[in-house]
Amino acid sequence: MTPALQSRPDVFDTVIVGAGVMGATTALFLARGGQKVALVDREDMFRAASGVNAGTLTLHMTRAQLIPHAIRGREMWLDSATWLGEDVGAIATPGLSMAFTEAEEELLRQRAQVRQDMGAPIEVVSPEEAIQIEPGVNPAIRAAAYCALDGHIPTYRVGAAYARALRQAGVTIIENSPVETITPATGGGYDIRISNRVQPVQGRRIVLSTGAWLEKMLGWLGYNIPIRCLINQLVVTETLPPVMGSVLSIANGLLSLKQFANGSVLIGGGWQGEGNIHQGGTRVIPENLRGNVRLAQYVVPRLDEAQILRVWLGLESETPDAMPLIGALTPDDDAFVVGCVHSGFTSGPYMGRLLAERILGGNPDLSPFDPTRFSSLAATGTRS
Amino acid sequence: MSNPDFSPVTVIGGGIAGTTSAIALARHGLPVTLIDEQPTAGGQIFRAPSPYARQTVPPNHEFSGGDALRHKLTASSVDVRFSTRAWGLSPTLALDLIGPDGIDQLPPSTVVVANGATERFLPFQGWTTPRITGLAGASILMRNGGTLPGQTVVVAGSGPLLFSVAHQVLELGGKVAAIVDAGHRSDWLRLGAMLSLDPARLTQATSWMLRLRKAGIPIHHRAHISAVQETETGLLLNVSEMDHPERRHVYASEAAACGYGLKPSTLITRTAGVQHRHDPVGGYLEPVTDLAGRTCRPDLYVTGDAAGIRGMAVARLRGLITAHAIAQDRSVISGETYETLTRAPLRQLRRLEAVSRRMLPLMNAGSAIPAHLQDETIVCRCERVKAATLRSAIKAGAEDLNQLKAWTRCGMGPCQGRMCEDSARGLLMAVCGKTSEDAGSFTARMPFFPLPLTAVTGTFAYSDIPLPKAAPL
Ligand SMILES: Cc1cc2nc3c(=O)[nH]c(=O)nc-3n(C[C@H](O)[C@H](O)[C@H](O)COP(=O)(O)OP(=O)(O)OC[C@H]3O[C@@H](n4cnc5c(N)ncnc54)[C@H](O)[C@@H]3O)c2cc1C
Repeated sequence: MTPALQSRPDVFDTVIVGAGVMGATTALFLARGGQKVALVDREDMFRAASGVNAGTLTLHMTRAQLIPHAIRGREMWLDSATWLGEDVGAIATPGLSMAFTEAEEELLRQRAQVRQDMGAPIEVVSPEEAIQIEPGVNPAIRAAAYCALDGHIPTYRVGAAYARALRQAGVTIIENSPVETITPATGGGYDIRISNRVQPVQGRRIVLSTGAWLEKMLGWLGYNIPIRCLINQLVVTETLPPVMGSVLSIANGLLSLKQFANGSVLIGGGWQGEGNIHQGGTRVIPENLRGNVRLAQYVVPRLDEAQILRVWLGLESETPDAMPLIGALTPDDDAFVVGCVHSGFTSGPYMGRLLAERILGGNPDLSPFDPTRFSSLAATGTRS
Repeated sequence: MSNPDFSPVTVIGGGIAGTTSAIALARHGLPVTLIDEQPTAGGQIFRAPSPYARQTVPPNHEFSGGDALRHKLTASSVDVRFSTRAWGLSPTLALDLIGPDGIDQLPPSTVVVANGATERFLPFQGWTTPRITGLAGASILMRNGGTLPGQTVVVAGSGPLLFSVAHQVLELGGKVAAIVDAGHRSDWLRLGAMLSLDPARLTQATSWMLRLRKAGIPIHHRAHISAVQETETGLLLNVSEMDHPERRHVYASEAAACGYGLKPSTLITRTAGVQHRHDPVGGYLEPVTDLAGRTCRPDLYVTGDAAGIRGMAVARLRGLITAHAIAQDRSVISGETYETLTRAPLRQLRRLEAVSRRMLPLMNAGSAIPAHLQDETIVCRCERVKAATLRSAIKAGAEDLNQLKAWTRCGMGPCQGRMCEDSARGLLMAVCGKTSEDAGSFTARMPFFPLPLTAVTGTFAYSDIPLPKAAPL
């Protein structure tokens, strides 16, 4: 890096592209670590997956290998007042995953076992015990996996809290600014070109955290990693008298169900709609709406009193091995990625903090998430 | 001419525009289904009166016009589905319905959106008391139910509905305590001068005004209700003058009816991904259409007030022209026939449109009100969000309507922002200087109104649920 670039005050230490939970947390901890940081998003921040997700803080659904991270992420959410400056309303509840058929029971025991091995306090309980924990569930259950560490968070409150914290930490927030190209700058660092600006934003270092939109951006840096875009459906009901107190799911992971403090019930579980990364979610598939809602009503029969208020679709990203991408993209340590984390809202704050720690010179273990694992090309750290 | 296409057409909304369109489409030989949430056709203006209202409300043009329209519809080959509401529209134009027999989906067809207008409401301190209704709601109560909202009523807001409602109160033997209009008196005079182009409206307006004057009702222009208190017997209303805030008036009444003009109902067209624009004169969002109601989406047409507020005479003409345009687009009639059929309606349309457009600023006369909302005033009734909450979220960086919704829950409730969107947008524009385009509009989502969960689930066994592949371990 030339001295000229080093000393230019308009050059950021790190430019982060993508202001969801991953990018925003990384930005926050980098700025608190003394860096001059810019955070760029194509829309307003926290409008993609991080603004529309189900807010389940569960260990039942997350990938088993990510359990330790999910436990730490969940703790951070419950403790948001201390590190984010505001209590965003995360609530700790128990979590129950249920089985209604023999096959589901087998799956339930298998999933509980691998999660226990990764440190999740999960035990399989009898139907009677499950009903004692959650009186509202269908008595037809055969078995349930109980986890003391579960909970939920009203997702919509998080973006505003981050906005405040980031501004306080001195992060430059550049919203409604789609990044169109990223090219190495002469003398080191990167030029980040934004569609509505003549001058590029310049950074000594970049972090890519664009979620479902990562594939193309990784391509700019010479990586060829196919990223699958899931179109997840969520259904929320009008407010109801209390019908459940814990987070409920079923063994195969296709249901997540909880009631928020205001009384509305959120029904999710990864049922798919139609859509793509260009237009977002474009169509709710009627059979999938029906299937998802039937499952919910089967699990908590009192949902037959509910009114469906809204149905929406959100974009989630997944790598070929369904494991995250977190770490350096170049041998020079000047380009990083963070994203594609299964149940990433739960672990997001922790993942972002880990990457910030790594960039600030620490040495957290990110080896299972090494982005170079997919590509021989990338091992040489080619910069396009 | 290519081969005529006789595939089905679905008309959403059985008001004047939709019903006229459906009948004309059927005359062209097209299979038409007309859907409306009411038990009969007629929409807002031509809504069928209750038997009680037929006895108590003096005979009027709306009753006779509505009866004639319903009669024509019955005589036509239009397939009608009443007491049925559309709750979703997919990009393929498959239409989700809920009716007396539960939910149903119509396969993709050509869709004519004729779902009319929504009343614009602007809040004030204390407005959530049940003694306050909309102007449109009050009108339906009186004209179609034969019932007064209260023995004495304050009528407030903007636009021609003010005088129509005041007149209806008198007609049913009630008393109007005051008329509070956000518009300029001079705008009304200018409109009056133009009404010679629209003799029907002129006659009606003259008779209303004479009657109101005779009753000696105080009329305040450039004024609005700034606060209301409930008393044991009714309401105490504070009226402020916009240009002289120090001048205040207080009225007591049993009820108040308040509304700030109409705006197109865009939930369906926004969901369908049709291009929309802000009409700066009307102060509302409207779908971009050509004169015949074509949108950027092939096979999707918008007609009547849903395409921009022009009133009932224009709605009828638009409905007719849209039907002919569909027949032409389908090669059911030639371009020449289209010209012949639409020549007279188009001429009439142009003449009436000039008058209708003159109404828009009068309806939108309250546009400056949201900027001055008191902090304590509830803006979003569903989620009980106050003006102060919105102001501080805007200052914290929520600079478009959807971000504001995400941060405050404003517009997240059952009404999908129909009540609060205009005030939230007005606050955004006032606090951070955004244009209405930049402020945007709430993302529309299905269902268009709360849907009973059991209507979607129906009767089922666990084994009926098609469970996809399990999530990864
Ligand atoms: C419907 C749904 C439900 C979910 N439920 C849960 C749950 O209950 N619990 C849980 O833990 N996880 C859940 N998830 C997963 C979780 O939401 C995600 O893992 C997490 O939010 C991803 O965060 P992110 O920052 O990586 O991506 P995002 O939040 O998607 O952020 C990416 C950002 O990049 C921006 N961007 C894209 N392209 C560009 C560009 N060219 N220039 C600039 N900016 C760009 C986008 O605008 C966006 O703001 C759910 C996901 C979905 C979709």
